[in-house]
Amino acid sequence: MATEVLMPKLGLTMTEGTIDEWKKNVGDTVKKGEILFSVETDKLTNDVEAEADGVLLKILVPAGETVACKTLIGWLGAEGEAVPDGAGTAPAAAAEAPAAPAAAAPQAAPAAAGAAHAAGAYVPATPYAKKLAKEKGFDLAAIPATGYKGVVVARDVLGFTPAAAGPAAPAVKASPLAEKVAADLGIDLKDVKAAHGRVLAEDLLRYIAETREKAPDSEATAEREEVKPMSGMRKAIAKNMQNSHMTSPTVTFNLGIDMTEMKRYREQLKAKEIKVSYTDLLVKFVSKALTEFPLLNCSVEDNKIIYKHYVNMGVAVALDNGLVVPNIVDADKKSLTEISAEVKELAKQAREGKLPPEKLRGGTFTITNLGMYGIESFSPIINQPEVAILGVNTMEDKVVVRNGEMCIRPIMNLSLTADHRVVDGSVAAQFLQRVKSLMENPALILA
Amino acid sequence: MCTIRCFEESVKKDFLNGEIPGFVHLYIGEEAIATGVCAALRKTDFVESTHRGHGHCIAKGADVNKMMAEIFGKIDGLCKGKGGSMHVADFSVGMLGANGVVGGGYNLATGAALASKMVLKNDNVSVVFFGDGASNRGTFHEAANVAAAWKLPVVFVNEMNCWASTTPYRTTTAVENISDRAHGYNMPGVIVDGQNVFEVYAAACEAVERARRGEGPTFIEAKTYRIEGHFVGDPEKYRKKEETMQIFHDTDPLTHFLGILPEGIEFTQAELDEILTAARAKVAAAKEYAVGCEYPDESEFYKDVYVD
Amino acid sequence: MRKITFSEATREAMAEEMEKYPEVFVMGEDLARQGGIFGQFKGLPDEFPGRVIDTPISETFIVGGGVGAALGGARPVVDMHFADFIGVCMDEVLNQMAKIHYMFGGQAKIPLVLRAPDGLAGGGAAQHSQSVESFFIHIPGIKVVAPSNPYDAKMVLKAAIECDDPVLYFENKVLYKETGEVPEKEDEVPYEIGKARVEREGKDVTIVSYSIGMKNARAAADQLAKDGIQAEVIDLITLSPWDKETVLNSVKKTHRLCLVSECVKQGGAMAEVAATVAEEALEYLDAPILRYGAPFTPIPFAPTLEKLYRVYPDDLVKGIKGVL
Repeated sequence: MATEVLMPKLGLTMTEGTIDEWKKNVGDTVKKGEILFSVETDKLTNDVEAEADGVLLKILVPAGETVACKTLIGWLGAEGEAVPDGAGTAPAAAAEAPAAPAAAAPQAAPAAAGAAHAAGAYVPATPYAKKLAKEKGFDLAAIPATGYKGVVVARDVLGFTPAAAGPAAPAVKASPLAEKVAADLGIDLKDVKAAHGRVLAEDLLRYIAETREKAPDSEATAEREEVKPMSGMRKAIAKNMQNSHMTSPTVTFNLGIDMTEMKRYREQLKAKEIKVSYTDLLVKFVSKALTEFPLLNCSVEDNKIIYKHYVNMGVAVALDNGLVVPNIVDADKKSLTEISAEVKELAKQAREGKLPPEKLRGGTFTITNLGMYGIESFSPIINQPEVAILGVNTMEDKVVVRNGEMCIRPIMNLSLTADHRVVDGSVAAQFLQRVKSLMENPALILA
Repeated sequence: MCTIRCFEESVKKDFLNGEIPGFVHLYIGEEAIATGVCAALRKTDFVESTHRGHGHCIAKGADVNKMMAEIFGKIDGLCKGKGGSMHVADFSVGMLGANGVVGGGYNLATGAALASKMVLKNDNVSVVFFGDGASNRGTFHEAANVAAAWKLPVVFVNEMNCWASTTPYRTTTAVENISDRAHGYNMPGVIVDGQNVFEVYAAACEAVERARRGEGPTFIEAKTYRIEGHFVGDPEKYRKKEETMQIFHDTDPLTHFLGILPEGIEFTQAELDEILTAARAKVAAAKEYAVGCEYPDESEFYKDVYVD
Repeated sequence: MRKITFSEATREAMAEEMEKYPEVFVMGEDLARQGGIFGQFKGLPDEFPGRVIDTPISETFIVGGGVGAALGGARPVVDMHFADFIGVCMDEVLNQMAKIHYMFGGQAKIPLVLRAPDGLAGGGAAQHSQSVESFFIHIPGIKVVAPSNPYDAKMVLKAAIECDDPVLYFENKVLYKETGEVPEKEDEVPYEIGKARVEREGKDVTIVSYSIGMKNARAAADQLAKDGIQAEVIDLITLSPWDKETVLNSVKKTHRLCLVSECVKQGGAMAEVAATVAEEALEYLDAPILRYGAPFTPIPFAPTLEKLYRVYPDDLVKGIKGVL
């Protein structure tokens, strides 16, 4: 009995995934636990293990295609075992002889494409309804069913008017941002190919890149250049960054923090055998501030603000060729030691490539630290769907004026990027002020 | 008789060579019965036969060439290749068919007799041949009862060859002489030596005349012996080959023919040999004919399911 | 138009054919003195002396002898008391009657009619109430008919007697006393074996049946009409060979098929129709094929149980509405 290979659901909010790469070819023997393929979501690229031993009998969804979670994408089984061609066919049918699958094969291709479109579900319909739908070129999945047992019957097909035909509907489905950008740039949305149903900003970017005139490549130039395809993670990062840039109108605010008290506080803990990093401390203090500034801890969806009554603090972890942002759930409720341990663990997991996918989801705010590289200021890009990100810069002794006198204090600059759709300058500034206040007077954390 | 003997020997050889499909049941050693009985019949009289029906068919006057072709399954056979050995029939000479169901023939023959006497009102007679084993079937009893009750023109000819496939009759039959049963149906039952063609003929004539007169059925039990196995290829594990061959030697109707000639009939060995030679040639010609014919093709398949 | 009973209609058919063909005769149990246990042969023995014959209780002879009589040149009509009893002489039907014409290469024909009263009759119980036509539509070489009304009863029997093939004529015992309109002799239309009749035209569902099942079909159609559902009702009349073309044409129009018969549903005659329609007109079906027949049990005696054995028009109506 063959085993189905399904698009996994890597977390609560995942609805679809793109096959990044099949790690095995059809005909290869696979052992349970071996990586079979990698999946790209909007967060990350994940390796997916084979759930059983067997031979990879069929690949139904090739690399690069996007399908809904739980869609059938391939078959594992015994060598030579017969399995159905089409996505969404019941496995029981696999046992029967094959004049049917052979005949079904030409339909399997459109079914797969249709599957990508209509989430691969089989639409129960009477034979006559199917005949009519085919004649009229209707997609059965789009037709509301009124027949017995929820089956699409002939009258449903005969009474169906596809939405696209309606004059009131827009000619091309597109996101509001894409529509705005297209209008700004004078692009006709009809020319833009949508990767997922409706035209998004990234589709526009792709279209622009494709239609831009390319510089003629001379052979000499070609020899001095090297083309390398992006890794899955890089692709994900590129996509996410681009998307964030297009989505959020951002403003970055800089504020220097006097770290004297923070340093002293850290020493006190160290004396008691409690070792914490500045990042750990920042997580604790910023989380506290966020509970007082919900506008920095929310999400935007169309014209709605989603306030979150929890703080899941994301901490950016640099990897060899990229970065990931795992988050600490309910960071505002955790003790410093708990936070510290968790940050260490997450960083370790991240570097070993063993981060559970759910750790990458659900964050409400992100801290990203470039202090170790001596960076004095930067404008980090927001980690969607959050609305703000705090960049941490290097801590350096600086000459400052206190009470009219010059003194040397360790100063650490904080760079806050905020989404101006919901975070106005004054709000961002006040938030930063509060963070500064807390960090320069650590005792306040208990108040 | 000679024709039957030669025919059966030829068919046996061909079957063992793999030239003939299906099953073949040989009549060797019993030729006198079919010959004697059919000699007493007109062309318009009917015979109903058994799976061991080649002898009846030849004796009733069927075309031997077409009969051989039928056994070979060819389109020019008596039944267009659709019947084979177990279902040879020639309705043009009143041979209503070999019946593959043991005991299937009684009611057909009795029904034909009923049609002759009560509906069409002619004086045709029906003969049904059957073995000792077949006489144990319920169909015998229903037909015998009706034939006797209505005095139908039927002659029941029991070829008592002692073997019902692998079973000797004494182990399965309540009576020693099957003709004893005739008394239970109020019809005359006679026993004849089935190896003596003249004895058979005489009894048959009497029975046929009785039937034609409207006096009802007669039961003739012709004692004989099944020399060959039940079917060609039968390993005959249930009896001793030497014993069978001894019986054959002692009772072969052909070799003993000259010894049983009735008063006033002259026949020489030379004449007998001549007939035998002619018969052999006739059968050889029939085989050649059969081999030369075509098998029925696809277009024949759906024909004759219905008349209309 | 005259109104006569189904029973009278068969008698008329017999009389006309026996008059026309001297070689037609009848044999069976209790026919000559009683005129048949349902009175369906009444009067014939006097009209045709010597040609209606009472046999012993010998079904094997009745049918086998009938076949033999046909070989002998007659045109027999043989009668079973109850269709259930064909079981006694199955060999005569299966291996003799059905095979002779084919296996003897067309040398002989069997122009025989086997008449058999069948169906539930209130308390007949397991061995006297069956509908056995389904066994026989599976046998090549014989034809099977089952009229549902007096006019068909007459014309189908005449056609069966005149047919040179063996015909099994199933006559439902309950239908014997039902009256129906039959045209005057000069207006009678001969029946062609193998043809079905579209009794009622409709566009929403095709209901197919035969014999007593037609009562359910008609009643269901009437009830559906009250709700504006137009059923097309087809009487198969001949079960083998059955009129595939008429049924397919109807399904292509209505897109729904409902089959009903009194015989056991499992492996019943209507299964052949259902499978054929699914095979040859699948793309016209807008609903599952509905089949109504008796449950898979022997027929019980108690009235409360026999009631459960039956199919009612309501069953069809509910089923059809459920898939509209």
